[in-house]
Amino acid sequence: MKKPFKLLIIDDAEEILTALTNFFSQKEYDVVSAANGLDGLKHIEAKDAAFDLIITDLVLPNISGVAIISIVKKKFPDTPVIAITGWGEHPESLAKEAHADYVLEKPFKLPELEQLVKKLLK
Amino acid sequence: MNNPSKSKSGPPIVGVSKNIERVRELIEHVASTGLNTVVFGESGVGKEVVAQNLYQKSPRLGKPFIKINCAALPEGLLESELFGYERGAFTGAEQRKKGKFQLAHSGVLLLDEIGDMSLPLQAKLLHVLQSGGEFSPLGSEKDVKADTWVIAATNHDLKKDIEEGRFREDLYYRLNIIKIYLSPLRERPEDIPPLIDFYIKEYASMLNNRHIEKPGAKVIDRLCTYSWPGNVRELQNVLKRMLVLGDCGQIVEELFNSERIVSPTSGADDKLNHHASLSKILDLGGKNSPENQSFSLKTAKKNAVEMVEREIISHVLGKTDWNRSKASKILKISYKTLLYKISDLNIIPPEK
Repeated sequence: MKKPFKLLIIDDAEEILTALTNFFSQKEYDVVSAANGLDGLKHIEAKDAAFDLIITDLVLPNISGVAIISIVKKKFPDTPVIAITGWGEHPESLAKEAHADYVLEKPFKLPELEQLVKKLLK
Repeated sequence: MNNPSKSKSGPPIVGVSKNIERVRELIEHVASTGLNTVVFGESGVGKEVVAQNLYQKSPRLGKPFIKINCAALPEGLLESELFGYERGAFTGAEQRKKGKFQLAHSGVLLLDEIGDMSLPLQAKLLHVLQSGGEFSPLGSEKDVKADTWVIAATNHDLKKDIEEGRFREDLYYRLNIIKIYLSPLRERPEDIPPLIDFYIKEYASMLNNRHIEKPGAKVIDRLCTYSWPGNVRELQNVLKRMLVLGDCGQIVEELFNSERIVSPTSGADDKLNHHASLSKILDLGGKNSPENQSFSLKTAKKNAVEMVEREIISHVLGKTDWNRSKASKILKISYKTLLYKISDLNIIPPEK
């Protein structure tokens, strides 16, 4: 059997984190989740992390999504990162500068996000 | 105030609370990134210590660590301090001067009290950060590029400042890539005993370990229940007083008395308390009375002067709505002296 793709999802909004985690778990992805930047970063830096793709909110407590993208792109330049942004927040340009592969604005549809994930994992 | 820090190894971050443990963990993880950082927390809570720790654990250690206080200088002066100027850029610019931004090249620039920076200067800072550290000194046609790690510190709620139009939202997001928040000391009393332990050791060695009275368990227990409006800086001052003057119990009493004075009470009560605290600080009836061996006029005088200064400066600051430059003019002391006295006498700005 093919090894499932491993995703890391970081979002401080509990309902969104749960929804995304459940959605991708059901679609047979191996999902790790984190509710803030520091916990996310710890997963990324863990020895056997090897994430295939990372989805992160941009505005997070302590370590922001922008920081996560910068750090990931420096250490693992080939790992795609999707940034999601909330309403009325304006750090999109920062996400692009940090070389996020895609910036997705809320609200979005889950199948839309899955299409994007599939495209980036090809 | 805005001199380059000389000490290469600053103090450690002392404490056992969840907040402090989290802060230490964050520093470990982000110090190597060089990403723009904002340290939030009340006055005296140790924001600069956090910045120094970030610097020490970063590959920039050994390079310059430069601090500038954005509240201490008028706008024009702050701009020329930050970005420098060419000879002849303005009247009196007799020599070319490098800005702190450039001096901090390959090292760290700590922008203290960033919340007090004027909007025009915020715009210029934003522009510099957007361009990856490029700027032109006043009167210069050539751009300078500096690889400077910007760490900002503030006791403001910047989100609120944004809503009220006093802080640029785009600059907020640009700076706030990493956010480190230090709780006020009253929210983490479990950190007080280890802090006392740490500073007592440090001060004792400064005093050449000569015989000193250390605060006992009872005193420490009481210190843990105090509200510490001036946070760790106030704790440091109290401990210094204890070690130098001895009589810890007395100093604790004064502390709780001053807390009562600061809290809003009726005018009559205030007056009573003032008189009570005057004789208490001078301790004319108690152990330090002139009949006692340990009494000295010098100590009594110093205590009295400090008390009067604190009262007057607080009063004038209250009248000027904490406009420090107005207050210094009324008091006829220099702005710098006023800032020093505010910190030395532990005068705390009212909650906004």
